[in-house]
This record gives sequence, structure tokens and C-alpha cells, in this order.
Amino acid sequence: MKILVPVKQVAVLDEDFELRDDGKDVDVDFLDYELNEWDDFAWEAALQLQEQHGDVIEIVPMTVGPEEASDSLLKCLGKGGERAIRVWHESLQDSDPAVIARVIAKVAQREQADMVFAGTLASDHGYSQTGVSVAAELNWAKAAVVSKVNISPNASCIQVNRELEGGLEESIEVQCPAVLTIQLGINEPRYASLRGIKQAKAKPIEVLSHTDLGLQDSDVGIAGSRSRVRRMVMPAKGQAELIEGSVVEQAARLADIVKQLRGGV
Amino acid sequence: MARDPKHDILFEPIPIGPKILKNRFYQVPHCIGAGSDKPGFQAAHRSIKAEGGWGGVNTEYLSIHPESDDTHRLSARLWDEGDVRNLRAMTDAVHAHDALCGVEMWYGGSHAPNMESRCTPRGPSQYASEFETMTYCKEMDLDDINMVQGYYVDAAKRARDAGFDIVYVYGAHSYLPLQFLSPYYNKRTDGYGGSLANRARFWIETLEKVKRAVGDECAIATRFAVDTLIADAGVEVERDALDFVRMADDYVDVWDVNVGDIAEWGEDAGPSRFYRQGHQLPWQRFIKQVSKKPVLGVGRFTDPEKMAEVIRSGQLDIIGAARPSIADPFLPEKINQGRADDIRTCIGCNVCISRWEIGGPPMICTQNPTAGEEYRRGWHPEKFPKAGSDDSFLVVGAGPAGSECARVLMERGYTVHLVDDQDKIGGSTNSIATLPGLGEWGYHRDYREVQLNKLLKKNKESQVALGAKKLSVDDCLEYGADKVIIATGAHWNTDGTNALTHDPVEGIDTNTPTHLTPEQVLDGSKPIGNKVLILNCDPYYMAPSLAQKLQEAGHKVTIATGVGLGHYMHFTLEAPNMHRMMHELGIEVVGDVWASKAEANRIQLYPIFGDGYRREYRGPGKLPRRENTHFDWHEFDSLVVVTGRSSDNELFTGLKARKDEWAANDIKGVYLIGDAWAPKLMADATFDGQRIAREIELEDPQHPKPYRREVAVWGSPYLPGDKFEIEYDI
Repeated sequence: MKILVPVKQVAVLDEDFELRDDGKDVDVDFLDYELNEWDDFAWEAALQLQEQHGDVIEIVPMTVGPEEASDSLLKCLGKGGERAIRVWHESLQDSDPAVIARVIAKVAQREQADMVFAGTLASDHGYSQTGVSVAAELNWAKAAVVSKVNISPNASCIQVNRELEGGLEESIEVQCPAVLTIQLGINEPRYASLRGIKQAKAKPIEVLSHTDLGLQDSDVGIAGSRSRVRRMVMPAKGQAELIEGSVVEQAARLADIVKQLRGGV
Repeated sequence: MARDPKHDILFEPIPIGPKILKNRFYQVPHCIGAGSDKPGFQAAHRSIKAEGGWGGVNTEYLSIHPESDDTHRLSARLWDEGDVRNLRAMTDAVHAHDALCGVEMWYGGSHAPNMESRCTPRGPSQYASEFETMTYCKEMDLDDINMVQGYYVDAAKRARDAGFDIVYVYGAHSYLPLQFLSPYYNKRTDGYGGSLANRARFWIETLEKVKRAVGDECAIATRFAVDTLIADAGVEVERDALDFVRMADDYVDVWDVNVGDIAEWGEDAGPSRFYRQGHQLPWQRFIKQVSKKPVLGVGRFTDPEKMAEVIRSGQLDIIGAARPSIADPFLPEKINQGRADDIRTCIGCNVCISRWEIGGPPMICTQNPTAGEEYRRGWHPEKFPKAGSDDSFLVVGAGPAGSECARVLMERGYTVHLVDDQDKIGGSTNSIATLPGLGEWGYHRDYREVQLNKLLKKNKESQVALGAKKLSVDDCLEYGADKVIIATGAHWNTDGTNALTHDPVEGIDTNTPTHLTPEQVLDGSKPIGNKVLILNCDPYYMAPSLAQKLQEAGHKVTIATGVGLGHYMHFTLEAPNMHRMMHELGIEVVGDVWASKAEANRIQLYPIFGDGYRREYRGPGKLPRRENTHFDWHEFDSLVVVTGRSSDNELFTGLKARKDEWAANDIKGVYLIGDAWAPKLMADATFDGQRIAREIELEDPQHPKPYRREVAVWGSPYLPGDKFEIEYDI
């Protein structure tokens, strides 16, 4: 049984940041990068299943991203797994989640994966689309916001719990093959040891382009996307006011503000 | 990042007498254990602050004459040319950073025991010091007054010759000028006693003489306790102090004002347990109302917002600091660069001060382990040598020692994995900072947390693994680190093992429901009954802190102690108010006792000095005195066992036992630091972390390399032209 775990290297904003000149994203000078937190939980879920069932389960992390995104794959490989896949070509730039899902689905097919564990969402853009779109591309069953996984290798169904509103959980059976999007808190992701980190550097990361996966330039990037970012904006902030003066003056000003907020009397 | 414009006011120059202070950051005189006899220590410690942006830095109190000799404590001295030569090292080093350099001329009166010089001190009246044991002064006649004022003038000239820009006449902390001013000391009936004008005469005349001697070249400062906190028995700010400031203002270029006296100078250097930032402002703020001169003062100012507000609101002109400048010598520069989050905030533990109180070993700082190590170990607080190898490190335990070690290793460029099973950096600090009054101690953790998180961004292979599973010996062996540093801390003894008997107390077992360790009290894991007995054999804060916490929570607390109560807190200046608080809260303290045995709800105590005052040899196996016959049972619902600590060093001993497997696992060394090495002060645990991180390339980094010593050299006379050989006057 093979589990493919697509991970994303997400952008983390500095305390102060500026937007790019085209206004469509944050200037990269103000960004730091790290493995998406949800994906860390998805990878841990895969690692735990492998530990439970041994070599009958193979787990493979993959990402769609440039050279620097390998850091996130190394972070996964530092904890386990024997190899990883990175897909990139400059024409993949500015792809929307549907395109990324198309690429992941192609990798899943190429790998003959039985399961895909994705994060529920990515902390930077927060679309919550990629995982479920992979299922659509593959025409597989899916379960989103998964908080518990129970798998027997070679079984035709898996049992999962999904997180609902108000602390409710839904326990469902999903037909395999399937895509699960994993929720935070499903487990406690482990830390990599120094030995793990050192060994990860020697593990192979296969680099593919979209054409290796049978996709055309028109299938990816802006050309293949069904949505695009028009602009990013900073909403206007509320204003604070320091109320000064004597107690009487301060009380009067406070009363004015209350009246103003209530619509004036 | 750029400076916040709100803080610009802190960087405005201000004239003081013939000098210009380049900004409003001023290190007031404070002790470090260097004096004039360790010129390298003195020069390096003060000049690192000048480098860090302090506009003015001072020596500690500086004796003007052998008649004011504070031995067993350590002051600077300006007695002769030898002192001028040694202190010149400081003024040169400070001037290299464009800062002003000041000296605090001190005459102690009967507070100076003169144990080295064997002189007899002089004072306004004859009295026994309330601070120093067995020291009386001679009441000065007019010749004496003239002579002692001459000592100030001679010392001021030597200070000028040594390159000092600011010369103090030191009248705070109950030293001589204040002894004349205060009716608590001054009982004279002549022109130097009685009315305020008479009591002020000595101080003003001395200022005038000093100003006449060096005032064209040096700024004249005076440090003045504007309120001695004993109401009209001493000096009160609105009664005598303001009039004195009016009278003396023409002879003073800058006022350095505080409150309190020397016997309880924790009212000035207020520990965070009792005093917040700016705690003296209710007194200090009066002085600017009457003085035409700049006014400075301390109050453990660490926050640039507060500093700017204090100046903007006209309470002070200059921010004085001692402890905040020790915790972070680069505090001004960090504010200047808009890096407030990088400030190592003073936690107000007063461990720096404790060393002076103990008698002058080098000052240490809990937050800044490089304090006092600038010269002898060559430690810069902000700069580190580059990594000397590609070694990677596993540091187990993120408490004071481990987090500091990881921080410094990472600053040096090493790859470090810091692992702790707690969810937060800080180790024992996390629970200690929940004790009443000790919240600010958490700044120690906060600084390291912020810095480690910044450093992690620079080295993606480094890792801070919190909430991790406890590492076993096998885990450490297999971890893949070249070097393993164990900083697993210590625990409170569960069986009553203590410093008096070096054995457990029969019957004490904190695995039973009614006996608790401090950890169990702090984590709330066990119910605590109404009547609590704390058995104490620890010399520091744990017993009084737990007593306060439990009494305030409604328990009825008794402390039975064999080693005094919070003895070390005398050194940190916390003791007077701690004892007041014990009384005010109604906590009973049973002193000079120890425990012979304990049961579930009672404990048997005996006086540590019971029977048997006569000693005689009685043969093997026999106590050479009469056995104690005095025992008392004391009942309790819960017993808190504060008898001593033991290292959590199983991981280290386990790894050491498998040393033959290190090479196969590519481990080059395993080291032990902090409380896991031996329980110690948080300051010393932090030092351990910094020290091993700086010396990790040594063949044996477990043990410190020798530091540079500053001692008298046989064969070299102290004064030019003097002799060093043994020679008798016969």
C-alpha cells in the first residue's frame, strides 16, 4: 500500500511587510518559508501508519515547488520515508489550487498510490481546495478535516473521524482508494533527530516537470488556472485614541465616544 | 530597524556642568567587585556599556582615603598614584566610545569598618553603625571637618588626573554627607548640627571645595537619598530635601537622587519581588521642581516607553540604571536600533548585589552571564566567536543552562537540537515565576525564547523540540549528534535529605498523600490541607515564597527551619521586607530546629543546638557530647519538604556508563551543565550554559579553562620607586 503525502512550503510573513509592486502578493523580501503545519500532521499520520503496519505501507512525500521547496521534503524525510518527489517548471508559477491538484493527481497515478493524505488547508493562502480537488481529479472518494484514521492494509474501506462544528465528530467509512485531508491535532508530530536530518540529505528527491506527467503548458500556470489573484489589500485599521486630561474631561470624552458609537443622542 | 521616534527624547544630549552627556542613558555608580585592584575587570565592564550606548558610566563607590575602608566589601579607591594609574585604564576605555566617565567619592563614617586599614572613622556624632557590626566613629571637631573635606578635594584632583569627567560627592545610602544632614546621625549642637542650614553645612562646604578644585574640568555630581524612609527621624523629601537642594543647587551640576539608607538599601535597589519599575519616582519627582540642574535617578528602568515617559513628564532628566545596565550593556543601542525585543531585561533578582553584600567576589548576573567576565574570560555580551567545527549538538533540557547553551552555540553558527519534554522553554523557571512576586524572573526565559526563535530562522537544521518525549540513553546515543550536552536540572528531595544531617529524615516521603515537594505544591497535583508545616533547610527563596503563596491562599502556615529563613535574601536585599511580610501575613517561623522523624500528620522537631555543650572523647561509636533530650511534636495537615535538591543526572550517568558505545554512534563527547551538574543559582546555571558553549572546542570542555587573573605581582612594587622585599622597621 502506498500513501502519497503532498506537502506545501508555505510563506510566513515578517512582522512588518510590504506588497509586491504588482500588488498581487507580498514582496518575497518579507517572507520566510516553512513546511505547512497541516502537512506536518498529515506526514505524521502516514509515519504512524507505517510504524503500525511495517513495510507493507510505503509513504512518499511530494511537493509542487521550486528548488527551495526541497527543504520541506527534507523535513519530512528527516523523520521517515525513503524518497520524495518534487514537481516544478517555471510555467507552474501562479497556478491555482485546481492546477496543483491536477499535478498531484498525475503523480498519484504515476506512483500508483492507494491513498493521498493532504493537509486540510495551507496556512498562507488558506484555500482548503487542493486536497479535495485531488480526489475530484482522480475520481476517488474523499474525507475532509479528518481527525482520526484507522486503516488495515489491503482492506477495501478505511474508517475515519471527521471534525464537525461544535465539537461533534462524524465517524465514517470511506471506499479506497481515497484522499484524506488531515486536521491539526490528529496526532503529535514528532521531531526529526540530527541523525534523521543527516540521513535525509542522502535520500533521493526525484524532480519532475509537468510534461513528465503528461501535462501541457496550457494545463498549468495561469493558463490552466480557473481563478487568479487580482490584488492583495490591507483593510483599513481601526483607530485608537489616547484619552487625556482630568478625570472629568476624560469621562466627558468617553461619554462622547459612547454616544457617537450608539449613533448619537 | 530604525529607532521609534517616541524614543528620540532618550537620545537628546544634555549639558552637565562643563561636559555634555550625549544621551539620557546613564550607568550610575554600582559595585562589581573590581575596584581599583582589578583594573582590567573595571575597564572592560564599564567600557562594554559605553560601547553599548550608555552616555555616562561610573565606577562603584570609591574610597577617598584609608579612613574609609569597606573591607570585607569591595570598593574602588583613589588613595594614591597607584589607584590613579589603575583607574586610568577605565577612563581611557570608556572615552574610546565617546561616553563620560564618573567617579563616586565615598567616605563611610562608622559604616566603614576599616578592617584593612585599621583607621578610626570620623562622623558628625559618635554612634554605632546600624549596618556594620562593632564600628563606632569619632565625633568630628572642626579640625576633623576641615581635614576630611581635604580628603574629598585631594581625591577629586586625583580623579581628574585619572581622566574622570564627573566627580561625585556621595551622600546617598547614609554615607558621610547624609550623616551630617540627617538628625538620625547628627546630634551636634554647633554650627554643623541642629537646624537644616547647619546640618547641610558640611555637605555644601565639601561640594564648594570640590567644585573650586576641579569644577572647571569636571562636572560635580552628588548622590542624595532624598528620603531616608523613617519619617521625621531622618530626611524627608518635602521637609528637608527640597530645601537642601535649593541651598546646594549652585554647587551641583547634576543631581543623582534615590531613597533609603545603607542598612536597608533594597529600598533603593528594589528587588522585583517587592518593587516595580520606577518605584522611587513618587519621591524623586520632587527634585526637578526646585533644582535648575539636571536630575537623574534609578528605578530599574528597563522599558523604553517608561523611560521616555519619565523624561517627557518632567520627573527626571536622565535615566539612571545599575541593574538594567548589567543585564543588558547594550540596552541603549538596542533601543536606538528599534530592537526592543532583543533587550535582556533585568529580572530584579538582585543576585548581582548579593556578591557585594557577601564581600566582593566578582559580580554575577542571572540574565547576562558575560557580566564580570568581559576581561578575565574575554566575553562580549553581543558577539561570539565563529563555530570552530562542523559538530552538531543535542542539548537535553531547555531550562536556564540548556537554553543559554543552545542560544550561544547557535549564535556561534553551530547546528543545535534543544529538546525538552515541557511545552515551553524555561525549565524550572516556568514554575518559579509563578511564585508570588517572582513573575519578572520569567524574563530570563522570555529572552532566550525570543532569541532561539530568531536563531532557528537562520539555521533550518537547528531545532527546538518542545513537548518532546523524554529522551532515553538509547535515544541520545542514536540521535546523531556529535556532542551531547545534558541540562536536565534538579529536583527537590523527596525524603528530607538535607544540608544539616546529609541524610533523609525518618518517615518523610513525598510519595505519601500528606507530604509534598515544592514541585507538587506548584503543579497543584496534590490536595493541601489547612494546617501546613514547611520544613526548610534551603537558604534561599523557596520556603518563604511557598509560605506566602499558601498563607495567601488561606492555609495556616508554619515554617520550621534549621538554616535561618531565606538567609541568602539578606544578600539580595529581599530579607527585610520578606520578614515584614511573614509577620504581616501571620506566618509562624520556628527557627534553629531540625526534624528527627515524621509521620503522616506530625513531625518531631529538636533544637539544632540542644543539649551537650561540653565536648569530651567517649570512645568509638559514641557522640562526644550529651545526646539532645529536647523534642517537640508538631501537627500538620500537609508537610512541605524544602530540605534540599538533587541533580537529575540519570541521562548523563547512563550515557557515561556506555562510553564504549559513543564512537560507534559518532559521539565525540557528553557533557553536564547547570543544576544537573550540581544544584546552583539560576545565574550560575546560565553561566554554565554560556561557558561550555564558548569553550566547546577545548579538549575537555566539561571543565572551564583558566581565566585571566588580576593579582599583585611579586617583584613589582605597587607604587613607583617603592620596594617589594620583606623589610622590617627596626
